[in-house]
Amino acid sequence: MHELKIAEELIGIIKEVAKTENLKKVTKVNIQFGQMIQIVPDIFRCVFEGGVKGTVAKRAQLYLEILPIKVVCKKCRIETELEELLFVCDTCGSNDVELIQGREIIIESIEGEKQQETVSRKKQAVCS
Amino acid sequence: MEIKIMKNVLDRNKNKANEVRDLLKQKNVLMVNIISSPGAGKTTLLEKTIGNLKDKFKIAVIEGDISTDRDAQRLKNHGIPIVVINTEGGCHLDSHSISKVLPEFDLDNLDIIFVENVGNLVCPSHFDLGETFKLAVVSITEGDDKPIKYPMLFREARAILLNKLDLIEYTNFNKKVFYNDLNNVNGKIPLFEVSFTKNEGVDQWYNWISSQISSK
Repeated sequence: MHELKIAEELIGIIKEVAKTENLKKVTKVNIQFGQMIQIVPDIFRCVFEGGVKGTVAKRAQLYLEILPIKVVCKKCRIETELEELLFVCDTCGSNDVELIQGREIIIESIEGEKQQETVSRKKQAVCS
Repeated sequence: MEIKIMKNVLDRNKNKANEVRDLLKQKNVLMVNIISSPGAGKTTLLEKTIGNLKDKFKIAVIEGDISTDRDAQRLKNHGIPIVVINTEGGCHLDSHSISKVLPEFDLDNLDIIFVENVGNLVCPSHFDLGETFKLAVVSITEGDDKPIKYPMLFREARAILLNKLDLIEYTNFNKKVFYNDLNNVNGKIPLFEVSFTKNEGVDQWYNWISSQISSK
């Protein structure tokens, strides 16, 4: 259930950005997980939906992308995208490879709607 | 409107872990994050290893436990500093909880801190504690498929202990399958076949961990 802690941290970042950017609501969240993180998307959605209740992101749609595992060979320097968990260079067969993709837990972007200018609203209130 | 963020979601944990790592480096203390399934033998490994090393090195333990201090009670007789972190249901430790308890130790007077993480092969692998390295413990009775099912841990660990070797004849554990999968996931990792309860194969492990402490 690392999904829970990751969702908590994610929601914290969303709230912070929404505040800084003066968003009244967040409509979309784009997140990327490396395949090595072994996230279960349904569990992640479930804990995310529970966590955003009552927040600026309560109706946000979650777009979750899984990034495949990529390694680079330390001998021939050629990259391989792994189709199965075989940490071996496709080109020269060496197992001296370095992981270059697959451990990501990245919030890519959010989408939302800005708050209306509170200053102009205040002015209107005074005029009326 | 779209707002680009491109940020690691676990940055807060990573930053605190780096602070812990810097402090331990400055104090010249090694920290080993021990990760395994529940019941693989982490506490027995600690009981035996502390018993063997405590005259040579100054050792402390951080015990991560979901809700009790039973593991810590088992280590008490060794008379070393032990701090318990109860995660209250949480399935892993994180760097903030480690950072909070470090002031309870006299770091100037320690060589190594063993951290017994919560028993779980997935979640603890994703949370950097600021350790010097991770140690994976896997036991014969869990089956031979662990490296291929939990590749993250077996990629990230600096060494593996394959424990409860004395029980192999009572199981269908296939060493060939285990080593083949492990070789596919991480062909370069040192592995020690041991039985801590029977004290078999343990000397090589004691020598290896001693050399890690001595060369810190």
